[in-house]
This record gives sequence, C-alpha cells and structure tokens, in this order.
Amino acid sequence: MEIYTSILGTADAPEHHDALHHLAHKHAVDVVRLSRADLARRRLRIRTDAGREVAIALPRDQKLFEGALLALKEDSALVVRVETERWIRLAPRDAAAALRLGYFCGNLHWRVRFEENDLCVAVETEEHVYLERLEGLLEEGAVTLLSDNGEAG
Amino acid sequence: MGIGGPVGSGKTALIEALIPIFHERGIEVAVVTNDLVTKEDARRLQAGGLIDPLRVVAVEAGACPHTVIREDPTLNIAAADDLEARFPDLDLILIESGGDNLASTFSLDLVDWWMFVIDVGQGDDIPRKRGPGIMLCDLLVINKLDIAPHVFVDAASILSEARDVRAGKPVIGCRCKGAQTVGLTDIADAIARDLLFRQVVA
Repeated sequence: MEIYTSILGTADAPEHHDALHHLAHKHAVDVVRLSRADLARRRLRIRTDAGREVAIALPRDQKLFEGALLALKEDSALVVRVETERWIRLAPRDAAAALRLGYFCGNLHWRVRFEENDLCVAVETEEHVYLERLEGLLEEGAVTLLSDNGEAG
Repeated sequence: MGIGGPVGSGKTALIEALIPIFHERGIEVAVVTNDLVTKEDARRLQAGGLIDPLRVVAVEAGACPHTVIREDPTLNIAAADDLEARFPDLDLILIESGGDNLASTFSLDLVDWWMFVIDVGQGDDIPRKRGPGIMLCDLLVINKLDIAPHVFVDAASILSEARDVRAGKPVIGCRCKGAQTVGLTDIADAIARDLLFRQVVA
C-alpha cells in the first residue's frame, strides 16, 4: 500500500496544468474522494476511484483541501476531491426564534453558516438525525425548513 | 489516538488490556490520561506494571473533559509532544479523555483516529441516543458484554442496533477483564490497520 506523506501543491496550479492534462487523457489521474468532515484528517486509509487502497499521513502543519495534489509522476497522479456537502436551511420566525435556534445548534456543536436571515446546518451524519432534533422548533412554527431554493420544504 | 466515553465505561481497563497486545506486536506506546482534578487514571496505569511509568502523563482538565480534547486541546498536544520528544521510538500515543457524556468528540488537530467506549451497564438505549461520540468516532466499542444478562441487556441486540445507527462504521463488542476476554484482538487489529497502516493477518 502506498503512503502519501505530503501535499505537493494544488491541482489547479498553472505549473501542474500541462502534466495533469496529459495524464488525464491517459486516464492516469486517480482521485481520493473525501467528505468535507474528513478534510480535517491528517492520517487515513482510503480506497481511490481506481480501487487502489492508499494511506495518507500528513505532518501536523499540513491540511487536505479540494484539489490537493498528493502525487505527480510521469505516468500517474493522485488528487483529492471533496464531495458536495449537503446543508439544511432553516428560517427562524422572528428574532426570539433565531436566538433559540442559534443556541440550540451551538449546544449540539453543529457546523453552521449564515445566509441572509437563514441558518444553514451542515449535514455530517444523516439528515433525519438533524430533523428529529429540530422537531419541536419546526412543529411549533418557530423555525421553517426551507429547500435549497429558499422555499418552505 | 483518542479514547473517549462516559465515566466508568472501561476506558482505562481497555488501555490496560491493550498494552500487552501492543507489546506482543512490537508497537511502542505511551499514554496521556485526562482527569477532572486528579491524576487517578495515570497513577493506576503507572502502578499497574504494564508500562514504564515515565510513559504515562496526566493532564488535569479542571473543567468539562471535552474542553481539552476538542475546544482547546493545547494541554494534550503539549503532553503528547513531550512524550514524543522523550521517547522518539513511539508508534502510538493513547490519549484517554476524562469520562464525559455522549456529545464528547476529539479534535482532529489532537488525534488522527479515535474510539468511543460505552458499556452495556449504561442501558441498551445508549446507541439509539446517537450522541456525536457514538456517531462520529472511528470505532465504537461496547464494553462489559459479560455483564449484559445481569443488567437485562441483550448483547447481540445492542451491537446490532449500534451497527445500524452508525451506518456501516465499525462497532466491536468487548470484554476486557476476566479470564475470557472478547474483542481485544479485533480492536488491536483495527488500530494496526486503520491508524498504523500495518498489514493485519486475517
């Protein structure tokens, strides 16, 4: 099993463009697909898109990111790609509901981002786990679950 | 590597049971223990004769134990750095969290991989509670399988339910004390394979 111990750079960098383009034509660019949560890992064992089992063991001062180039050889390359992340979008009814929702999500250590007046929660396990916890706020109408395009779900 | 879980679930006992297996496999280990306001767990390991006492360091959290493994793991990082400097041949540093609730998780700035230890004596509904510790750990260990009949828990059922809620992530049942242990080799194999990248003979 091959162990990758450093990040060589980013696959989008101009200096790697020609080499990666050439390898891509030969189907020789292999990909490690990670969830957003797994980007925080520095040491993991994983199967690539091509089915190879590889290991990553980075020093503590390096972090994985979308497009991280783990290997670039004459005949092959290995690139990190991050899976699209799912978010639950929640609209609080008013300021009081927003405070409750913010407190609730913080208390559960959920990863969130703000979009205008809505709160978006990153789905790191299964969506129903989050919705079950939010059931009370949703049922009393303090919070509305919105679809990706902002409409009530 | 992190080892978390509620008070009394058997984290220290599991470490005591794993140390001889690591020794047999030539895996050099050291331990950082976390306690609220004492060095109880460190003293227990140091006195146990299983490991060089100098390879055991205590961190006193002084607050909720998760704060020093997740929010600000500086004290534990410093303790691990210190062990690594004093024992350069180490393969593995076990960082045992103080007993905490089901929401406790480890920062990946502190550990590369972590297990969460619960036990059947806490009730058969623990996996169903889906705390972050249970859902997000790399390996869930359900300890004290031997006492299951005495606390009216169906061991097979709690294991099966835990596997369901974790959607395929590993769960190992364990008995780490007594003449007949269970699951220890599987736990050591998981650590060797997934964390140390060693070949494990099937």
